[in-house]
Parts: sequence; C-alpha cells; structure tokens
Amino acid sequence: MPGPRSMRLVESALRCYPQRWRSRHGDEAAEIASMLIRDGTPAHSVAWSYLIGAARMRLVIEPRRRLGAAVGALLLAGSLGVPVALLSTSAPANAASVAHSRTAHPHSAHPRNGDSRPADPRYAGGRGAPDGCDQHDHC
Amino acid sequence: MAARERDDTGGQDVLRRAGDASVLILTSLADGSKHGYALIQDIRGFAGLQLGPGTLYGALDRLERLGLIEALPAEDRRQPYRITAAGVVALRDHLDSIERVSSVGRLRLGLGGI
Repeated sequence: MPGPRSMRLVESALRCYPQRWRSRHGDEAAEIASMLIRDGTPAHSVAWSYLIGAARMRLVIEPRRRLGAAVGALLLAGSLGVPVALLSTSAPANAASVAHSRTAHPHSAHPRNGDSRPADPRYAGGRGAPDGCDQHDHC
Repeated sequence: MAARERDDTGGQDVLRRAGDASVLILTSLADGSKHGYALIQDIRGFAGLQLGPGTLYGALDRLERLGLIEALPAEDRRQPYRITAAGVVALRDHLDSIERVSSVGRLRLGLGGI
C-alpha cells in the first residue's frame, strides 16, 4: 500500500484534470496509481504522467469549449448592436491591442494616427509578443 | 475534408495519427475486453514497455472518440473497454501497413523479406 505522501502527490496531479474527466475516471485513476506504486513504479513518475495527461487534455479538449464561448460572445455582441463590419475585420481589433505597444513598435497602425494600414500581425499581441501568446491567459 | 472524414471513421491512417499508445491498446484489446490496469500489465507483457497512466487515459479517450473502442459498464471502480468493429479494421489495416514497411526494411538490410 503506497504511503499517504505518494497518494497526495498523485491526487494533486489528478486534480488538474477537468471535473468531467475526474467524475468519470478519477476513482479508477487513483486505484491504478495505487497499484502501479505498489508494483514499484515511483510515485513521482505516476504523478508526472497524470500531470502531462491533464495538460494535454486541457490543451486539446478545452479549446473547443473556448471556441463555443467565443461564438457566444460574438452573438451577444451582435445582439447588443456592435456593427458586423467591426467584428469581421481584423484591423480594428489589432489596432485596439496595439494601443498598449505603440512604444514597442512605432510603425504599428493605429486608427487615431490616421493610418489606415492594417496593423502588423507580428505585433498584434499587447506586449509585442510575436506569436500573440498573450491572447491565451492560461499560458 | 473528405480525407479527414474518412480517417475519423477508421481509415488506414487513423492509427498513425492516434499514436503508438493507441496501437498498443487496440492490440491488447484484440483478445478481449480489459480495464486500465489490465491494459498496462498486458502491454508490459507483450511489448516490454510500461504505458504511463496519463498516456493510457489520453489514448483511451482518443480511441473512444474515434469509435475504435467502447466503454463497457463499469465493474466496481474499474472501467473495462472493448475494441469495436471499426477498431478491428483500423488495427488490421495498420498492422498490414507495418508489415509492408517491415518487409521492405528487412529486404533492404539484407535480412530477407517475406
């Protein structure tokens, strides 16, 4: 029987999975961990495997839900009277996010500067991140 | 898009995309239903490698979504799975493909083909 410290480590990793997954697999996953540790597998190795699995699940499954939320937000914005043209063009959105990084990239387009060029997508992230990683707050 | 749909319903490349763990799991389930721990033990026995439990659950989830395995009613806390007809086809196609590559590889290494 694995020690309580080992199981606490595994349970911490299991808590990283989405609630839906835990309610379906949580008990069995804890039991498998217990048996693997009893067989001689190091507890940290089991916990690490679950941690990676949880991260993968969050990165692969959860974005679909975020897409649904984004669609919902767009519909809500539409119902509140936000012009469709504003939602369908990328320039105003980019310009809005560039507002924080004007000093980081002085050539970025900004509607208030009278510049009608689309903003440079490399600088679309508010902090000048080239891959726009700051759009994902979970990072 | 058509190719993607074909893959999702059990085409030849479906397991190539699903990963090695999926092939090991389908191979293990080919001789009967098993739950998670039994799968890990069986795979350790025939492949000589231990699947991490996180990897196992990720692959089970993927295979279930692809319709290649299905969950059976839970026994106590254990959730057994069995291979579906589409899973059998996908595994057979994948093994045929591996066998072809293996034959060519052996032949080119001078180890003799089929």
